[in-house]
Amino acid sequence: MPDTVSNIGEVEFGSELPSFAPDTSTDNTKRFGKYVGWDSPRFTDHEGARKEGLPGAIVPGVLSQGFLGAMIHRWAPDAEIIAIDTVFRAPVLADAPHTITGTVTDIDEDEGTVEIDITITNEAGENRVFGTATAKLPK
Amino acid sequence: MRTARRAVGDFDVRIGGRSVETPLGKQLQKAKPTVILDLHTHSIKSDDGRAKVQNYCQWIRAKSVPIDGFVLTEHRQFDFESDYSELASKFGITILKGAEVETEYGHVLVFGVNEGLYDEFDFTTIGLSLENVIEKCEKHGALAAPCHPGRPRVGMVAHLEEHGIPNGVRIVETKNGGSRGNEDDVAAKMAEDLGYLGIGGSDSHIVSHIGRCATRFPTTLATEGELVEALKAEEFEAISNKH
Repeated sequence: MPDTVSNIGEVEFGSELPSFAPDTSTDNTKRFGKYVGWDSPRFTDHEGARKEGLPGAIVPGVLSQGFLGAMIHRWAPDAEIIAIDTVFRAPVLADAPHTITGTVTDIDEDEGTVEIDITITNEAGENRVFGTATAKLPK
Repeated sequence: MRTARRAVGDFDVRIGGRSVETPLGKQLQKAKPTVILDLHTHSIKSDDGRAKVQNYCQWIRAKSVPIDGFVLTEHRQFDFESDYSELASKFGITILKGAEVETEYGHVLVFGVNEGLYDEFDFTTIGLSLENVIEKCEKHGALAAPCHPGRPRVGMVAHLEEHGIPNGVRIVETKNGGSRGNEDDVAAKMAEDLGYLGIGGSDSHIVSHIGRCATRFPTTLATEGELVEALKAEEFEAISNKH
């Protein structure tokens, strides 16, 4: 399985997308917060987040979804992401190493779509976020 | 009795014959049937499930996941409608159905659900009485087992101090594929302290997580009723395939 695919015919059931370590730094969450207009300390400052009852600053959910989308586009640059459906089981802590993974679990060659299991795991291998994404690839 | 003769490596083995004298033949003769089932899975029927049952089957075969089948334990419901017999036959996989209900002690797997049991309490309700669930299961030939007991809030350990040790629990899930941190250790310690037996299940909500934990039975089984019998026989082992 190549690191990138250009059409649905190149996709194999069960193949793994190239995983990557997302930038979970508070520098990045601050930058993200600035662009989207969020400046809550829960995303940008560990001490401020603890005052809100969190274990530390957390990566915003939509930024996590952005990481997942980035993985899909790294793998299939011409893909159109139809949906990213996530279940947030536990916070993705800022400034902590995480890994983004994806695995193809369904292929509809007629529709040109693939379904991908997506996860964000922490260093202990715990799933913090999981879900599925649907992407449409050229035929 | 018809006797076939087949060469296997350096050994000649009689299959179906009375006398089996080769070393491999002796091993085969002694081999007992076992079945490995993932006792805790969710499909798109659950509100947080994202896996289609067909894709579970494809995945198990494509990735040679070391299980013989799985039990769909959908959240707060029992799926009377779905018939997975064709899929089971096509892929050679045992597909059974159960439920995961919610009690004051957290989440509980229920095996052997039938219409009689379903009428006894509201599966959709959170905060069911665990002892009542166990009692009704016994009445209707089913079995209840608290799952992920080491998990905060939704696991049994978190509620022991408030509610005390419940009557009737014999089996708990000690290996859960979705556990974080030391949750499985907490579950195992509770099981040891209270004399409970342990089962395993992946708690999979997406396709690629199925089979991460499972339960090995020293028998064959193919129906929900046989599963309950096998659990009540109390001869099984929780196993983990987590990497």
